[in-house]
Amino acid sequence: MSRTRWRDYAWRLLRPAAQQPLLHMALDQVLTDAVGAGTSAPTLRFWEWAAPAVVLGRFQSVRNEVDLAAAERHGVEIVRRISGGGAMFVEPGNQITYSICAPRAMVEGLSFQQAYAEMDHWVLEGLKTLGINAWYEPLNDITSDGGKIGGAAQAWRGDAVLHHVTMSYDMDAEKMLQVLRIGREKMSDKGTTSAIKRVDPLRRQTQMARELIIDHLIATFAERYVLNHDELTTAELEQAEALIESRFATTAWRDAVA
Amino acid sequence: MAMNKLHGEYKIPGGKLVQVDLLLRDEQLAEVQVSGDFFLEPPEAIAAINAALEGQPASADEDTLAASIQAALPADVAMYGITPEGVAVAVRRALEQDGQS
Repeated sequence: MSRTRWRDYAWRLLRPAAQQPLLHMALDQVLTDAVGAGTSAPTLRFWEWAAPAVVLGRFQSVRNEVDLAAAERHGVEIVRRISGGGAMFVEPGNQITYSICAPRAMVEGLSFQQAYAEMDHWVLEGLKTLGINAWYEPLNDITSDGGKIGGAAQAWRGDAVLHHVTMSYDMDAEKMLQVLRIGREKMSDKGTTSAIKRVDPLRRQTQMARELIIDHLIATFAERYVLNHDELTTAELEQAEALIESRFATTAWRDAVA
Repeated sequence: MAMNKLHGEYKIPGGKLVQVDLLLRDEQLAEVQVSGDFFLEPPEAIAAINAALEGQPASADEDTLAASIQAALPADVAMYGITPEGVAVAVRRALEQDGQS
């Protein structure tokens, strides 16, 4: 089987109103599996966060990554996603988050590193036309002249690949550092302050409204490939709600790595 | 009998962090949990890694631990930011921390 390309598909764009963190976790699984099964077109989904959350990578330990007392104090929910990678602290209006659910054939024969860069080439081009020189820092960081912008994670599921990205638009660094534990080992060569400085949010870099940046990224995609505006179906939402019950809201999942 | 909770970390070159939490029970590794911000496909392979470490003697050296993990991995495993050797280093660090506490 040879690798397929973006142009080989008519893409589905989803940009629903704000949703709960658990629903986002479940929708990633539902939509990726639907693309794998051929029941949905390849999908680009932009997320809006209805509530603050820590989103743990699949293999991260709750107690090692999160200060649960601080999270509770700030009303921050802890959820676990289906992809690996690092913890994200998200708050409504502070992130630009999206998922690409694509046929696995699009990353056929690519290394992890190549697969990440391939999935976000259009985003890097979109940022460039906003005056931001951004690039991939292997494996999964999106960085720029000003500093780190965001991170990606992939999960390969059957005949589909899920690639999701969170970019920082704005950040409450103090709250983030209260809620997330920054490991001693990880900080061994840099202090806490520099961990905050390393990130240079898009708001500071562009002075643009968040929605306008998202509009611009969507337009960048649509200039290159076929992109059809669509809505989540009732069946997809029902499947996601069922998965929240059976998987994502259970302690067996959230505390799978305690 | 003291059963200290032990914790060891190893930063894989390239930036990912492997963490190991375990107990020492009768001089054997118990309740081993490997975690971190790495990527592992299929994800179920994490259970094989934990199981390969469970029951290992506290005296096991890095090479022995790494070989046990390697042998337990499924043939189609894909890893980024985690290696059997890196996990073995984190385990040894956890055990050496025990000696200091």
